[in-house]
Amino acid sequence: MNRKPNRLAMLVQYGILLVFSVIALYPIWFVILASGRAGQRLYTFNLLGMFIPTEWSFENYQKVIAGNPAVGDPPFLTWLQNSFFVAGSTTVACLLIATSAAFAFSRFRFRGRELGLILFLAFQSFPGVLSLVPVAQLLTAMGLYKSHLGLILAYTSGTLVFTTYLMKGYFDTIPMDLEEAGMIDGCGPVQSFLLIALPLARPALAVTALFAFMAGWGEYILASVLVPAPEEMKTAMVGMYRIANEVNIPWGEFAAGTVIIIIPVLIVFLYLQRFLQGGLTLGGVKG
Amino acid sequence: MISWTGRRKALTVLAFIAPTLLGLLVFNIYPILFNTYISVTNRNQFHPNPDCSVTLTSLLEPTCWEVFKRGAPTGLGTPFRPQDPIYENYTDLLSGLADANAFWALLRLLLCFAPLAVAGRVNARLDRQISRSIASGWVWLGGLAGLFALAALLDAGGAYDTITKSGDFLVVMFRTLLYVIACVPVFFGVALLLALILDNAHIRFKAIFRVIMIIPWAASNVAIIMSLVWQFFFREQGTINQVLAQVGIKGPTYLNDPNWAFVAIVLVQVWYTYPFMMTVILGALQAIAPEQYEAAEVDGASYWDRLTHITLPLIRPAVLPAVVLSSITTFQMFGTVWAMTGGGPTRGAGTPGATELVMVYAYKQVFQTQSYGRMGAFAVVMFVLLFAATLYSLRVTQITKGAYE
Repeated sequence: MNRKPNRLAMLVQYGILLVFSVIALYPIWFVILASGRAGQRLYTFNLLGMFIPTEWSFENYQKVIAGNPAVGDPPFLTWLQNSFFVAGSTTVACLLIATSAAFAFSRFRFRGRELGLILFLAFQSFPGVLSLVPVAQLLTAMGLYKSHLGLILAYTSGTLVFTTYLMKGYFDTIPMDLEEAGMIDGCGPVQSFLLIALPLARPALAVTALFAFMAGWGEYILASVLVPAPEEMKTAMVGMYRIANEVNIPWGEFAAGTVIIIIPVLIVFLYLQRFLQGGLTLGGVKG
Repeated sequence: MISWTGRRKALTVLAFIAPTLLGLLVFNIYPILFNTYISVTNRNQFHPNPDCSVTLTSLLEPTCWEVFKRGAPTGLGTPFRPQDPIYENYTDLLSGLADANAFWALLRLLLCFAPLAVAGRVNARLDRQISRSIASGWVWLGGLAGLFALAALLDAGGAYDTITKSGDFLVVMFRTLLYVIACVPVFFGVALLLALILDNAHIRFKAIFRVIMIIPWAASNVAIIMSLVWQFFFREQGTINQVLAQVGIKGPTYLNDPNWAFVAIVLVQVWYTYPFMMTVILGALQAIAPEQYEAAEVDGASYWDRLTHITLPLIRPAVLPAVVLSSITTFQMFGTVWAMTGGGPTRGAGTPGATELVMVYAYKQVFQTQSYGRMGAFAVVMFVLLFAATLYSLRVTQITKGAYE
């Protein structure tokens, strides 16, 4: 296809790309602008101020980061810490559990394998909102209500099916030859899993870790039901939602908090996005 | 193939999958069993507590288990017990359908979609011909025309009104289906358009544009706070109205208007979802061998011909499962709506609001009205539907799997 491109068609295409770039960026840009506006309002009546920074102060950031919870400032850093701990633990647990199950489903042929895979998906389709009550009751009975451990358990099992499928899809694409060679040299299944398959599956591991972490970092419903109080136990999402539903909403602080929560997500996501395409088309979607 | 037999193999396999099985048993299978049991009881705010002398209750209710007994609640109200008749919650939920009028209206609505099914069938048959006599686009267009003709003929609007008066369940079900039908084509269209442009060899700065386009996907991970931001654009003095005011138009308060609120949650869902579709489509596009286009060009095929005869059929295997998958997640959408409208605006207390999709409805019923028994039945019905959808998506994936190998 070495034809010279039609100039008008190219212009239209660039135009479409630009318009959608603006749409994709604007909401994030909007919060960044709002976070730099002094006073507790998210928007301004100065139209220009909705698009370019006409004023800027770090007041909101100061309040969010160095606020004093004793006078009623939200304990934002504690929330962030909680979220990080919960999401991080979920990621580690998920990587340990899901990859081993995925390896078993990909490499071993055993009775009930096909059925198990289908049932996994089927059980997963039970809507999460509706299993809240039994899960909450169970965790309460186990004494894990209002504890991060309960939340981690719930998150981990919630992401298990998806991550197992993702990893299995990737293991399926790795040829078996290396492991067979390993077996001839006396490699057991555990060794061939840890020493051969896992290092080869690094892109899929990255995607799995990303999804597991995000599942914990951004989840709201479970966290709001399982750890509704006290303030210093909440995760960032629950805390932010609470701020946004107060009587006098401190929107400035909300915006600053949102920026602090979203920027790491963006960085990690954009850094790992080169893996996304391969990881998804090979694993998740193909099933 | 790792192939040894006997106990050693069984133990190894078990060791690999035991943690996953345990997790699923506790957090997936147990809630399903529990919910199914609750769905045949009259548990609600007046009968919240278990009666541990009933066998099934003592088996399924954690507070009845010996280990956990210390925390058993013994509050006000009588303990819940099985309904009489046992399927009471289900008939309560679906009672609207027992009414002949509503049932007829539902049939009429479903009948309106028959032309589309027929079009699909006709297309499948035409595909088997060596040279197609009619292009697939025309058949689909015919099906669509049939849909609108039938809708007018059978008074679909009236039928919809009848159904919305026949009980919450059907209302929220229909609204959610409408939501999915509105969202999926839009985000698919946007994703396809962007993917086609980004796959164009002549476009420069592709990497930068791709990174920018993926931002909403990253933002969708924190959907609850991002949606809180989004609702600001739709406020009376929000970005949209401020821009409109510059050209002299006074926009409404979008989220207080039932129709606009619905449009708003569709737009936001499209914003969250198109990057995923775009990534999938791009991956599929890049797998198409350029020789095929060159051959088509030699044969004098136009851009449109190449799109409909090469591109679309070849990306179908990868894209179809993704479409089904995102339809299911759109159906189950909760956070975005919850943060933006909370299910409102409502016409009156007790009726579901204009953006109250199934999951929002369920959440409200469980945590605000505490009608556990009724919602148990709701959960079981939802589960059956979603289970069927999942099996269908699995079949689609299985069918299209061969395309890669």
